[in-house]
Amino acid sequence: MSEQTLVMPAPPLPRRAAPSFEAWSLRCVFGVLAALALVFLVAPTLVILLTSFTATESLRFPPEGFSLRWYAALLDADQMQAAAWNSLVVALWTTVLCVLLGTPAAIAIARSKSPWVRACDVLFMSPLLLPALAFGFAALIFIHRLGLRPDLPLLVLGHVIVCTPFVLRTTIAALTQLEPSLLDASRSLGASEWTTFRRVTLPLIARGIGAGAFLAFMASFDNVPVSLFLADERTEVLPIHLWQQIENNLDVRTAAASGLIVLLTLTLMVIAERTAGLTRQMR
Amino acid sequence: MSGQRGHELQLEAITQRFHDFVAVRDINLRIGAGELVALLGPSGCGKSTLLRIISGFMRQTEGRVLFDGEPVDHLSPSRRGVGIVFQNYALFPHLSIRQNIAYGLEVQGVAKAKRDARVDEMLALVHMSEFAGRFPRQLSGGQQQRVALARCLAVDPKILLLDEPFGALDKNLRLDMQIEVKRLQREYGITTVLVTHDQEEALSMADRVAVMSRGRVEQIASPTDIYDRPATLFVNQFVGSTNVLDGTVSTADADGSPVVALAGGRRIRVASDAPLTAGSAVRVSIRPEHLHLHAEAPGADALPGAVQTALPLGALVVYDLALEGGAALKVSVPRQRGEALLPAGAQVWAAPQPSAGYRAFPA
Ligand SMILES: Nc1ncnc2c1ncn2[C@@H]1O[C@H](COP(=O)(O)OP(=O)(O)OP(=O)(O)O)[C@@H](O)[C@H]1O
Ligand SMILES: [Mg+2]
Repeated sequence: MSEQTLVMPAPPLPRRAAPSFEAWSLRCVFGVLAALALVFLVAPTLVILLTSFTATESLRFPPEGFSLRWYAALLDADQMQAAAWNSLVVALWTTVLCVLLGTPAAIAIARSKSPWVRACDVLFMSPLLLPALAFGFAALIFIHRLGLRPDLPLLVLGHVIVCTPFVLRTTIAALTQLEPSLLDASRSLGASEWTTFRRVTLPLIARGIGAGAFLAFMASFDNVPVSLFLADERTEVLPIHLWQQIENNLDVRTAAASGLIVLLTLTLMVIAERTAGLTRQMR
Repeated sequence: MSGQRGHELQLEAITQRFHDFVAVRDINLRIGAGELVALLGPSGCGKSTLLRIISGFMRQTEGRVLFDGEPVDHLSPSRRGVGIVFQNYALFPHLSIRQNIAYGLEVQGVAKAKRDARVDEMLALVHMSEFAGRFPRQLSGGQQQRVALARCLAVDPKILLLDEPFGALDKNLRLDMQIEVKRLQREYGITTVLVTHDQEEALSMADRVAVMSRGRVEQIASPTDIYDRPATLFVNQFVGSTNVLDGTVSTADADGSPVVALAGGRRIRVASDAPLTAGSAVRVSIRPEHLHLHAEAPGADALPGAVQTALPLGALVVYDLALEGGAALKVSVPRQRGEALLPAGAQVWAAPQPSAGYRAFPA
């Protein structure tokens, strides 16, 4: 067999590799997508960043003058600070609960071949697919029926439901890449199942869990549809507060707050990419 | 650590079913202390399944596994004391080489001072001391395999299982590692089961070879016996290469040894482990290297044929003969320096060497 392949004549090489139509169209699509991303994602972010440095009283682009007065003004914006604090508390609780619930669920799903477990997987993922607005509204009616009023724990609960899929997905992805013979090796060396989980499984899927936690945190922090229904006045969260400020009085402080969020997010993303290889975990 | 002498491994009537598919069928094996037995067989014959049963990762449907005469079926893999070297080595990627080797001792609660001494000893044993601080991905395949072996031996297992351990290595390195593993196995006197589908590996490394086919052990014997006295046609064909000719048993000749009439009508004397009844169909086997070529008929048992092709393979020439009746016969003969090859169409006689002979198996 190998002799045959040896004597096969080499196919004649083309003089110059002309770009095929496929390659060309692929490049076009990529170019267009990249351009769209730049124009509609990056440009508005830049606009809001630049606007937040304006020296004048009004939200206008291009900004006139340059000052940090609106950032300074954030220090006195008590309501906005309270909302930011609420958002942070909700996002942190949400992240912790998502990890605590999502990791064991992911392990069970990755291990099992049962169709029921598959069905659960789809069920847990459904908050990502269903409109969150419908979920928020339904949840509000539901808790009223139960005789409850929206408060912080219920808000966290709502966020947990829509944010757990992120942890679930990244953790399942990490688990499917985990070599099963590593677990067998650990057990044959005398480690119990629990020790094997702690010493082998957990360290090897930690990055996946971390990536999911980061996504869950961000998704909770800027969640609007669920918070809209489940937050009361005392638990008003930042995105909704900002929305109301813009609607009522075009407050330039909202631009400064947005600028701050963008900068913080970028910093977090760089950290996450450096430590956990965030984008690699999402593949 | 505990005794240098190995432990006896015994498999008693092991059967493994997956639903209604029988992957392993009534296997009985006794592997002596310190012995190296190779499980040799084609893909899917149940080698890995048997290893998983011995190591406790799979509970057999029927039968018992015994170490030194004690059943171990109730023991989980972590309690059985079976060391495994996996085909992909399965080194923990997040741990350094030192930590990998220390892992088993650590989870078994060996004190730090003792542990460190043992790890150093193991590193020296496999010549990896200078790599102690590296991580598995920074090592070559052969080095990773040494570490995997050291990690295994560090906890002093009763039985060592090697599942296609050399499959991922290139040819030269494979030979080095085979010698190295053999040395360590001898030095430790550890009872070892080696799974492979490479017959050379099995024949060169093992004290005994168990040839498996479709969930059954066809024959377990020393490498030379497997090669020279195959118990079944399957073993004959799987280990080394052979010619197979169809024939019918005819009456025994004067001294009582059975005679077979080949398809072309020629009669030859054969040897057989199974009793042969006159008139039954048999398959007659002889290895190409056990035949000689002659220009004239050398006597009884010779087969006339015409050379079809000659394949010079360096030290050997393999001739492909067409026998009367159309059957093909390969004959491999040593080539003298400067000797010309027989031309196609040349009429020759093939006869078995005095020490060898035709073997008949029931068809
Ligand atoms: N969990 C399982 N469920 C069903 N069938 C299985 C299972 N594990 C193995 N088998 C079947 O049992 C047979 C033996 O498998 P095994 O893995 O032991 O083969 P093997 O001899 O190790 O082959 P290879 O050389 O390819 O590794 C195969 O036909 C396989 O399809
Ligand atoms: Mg196998």
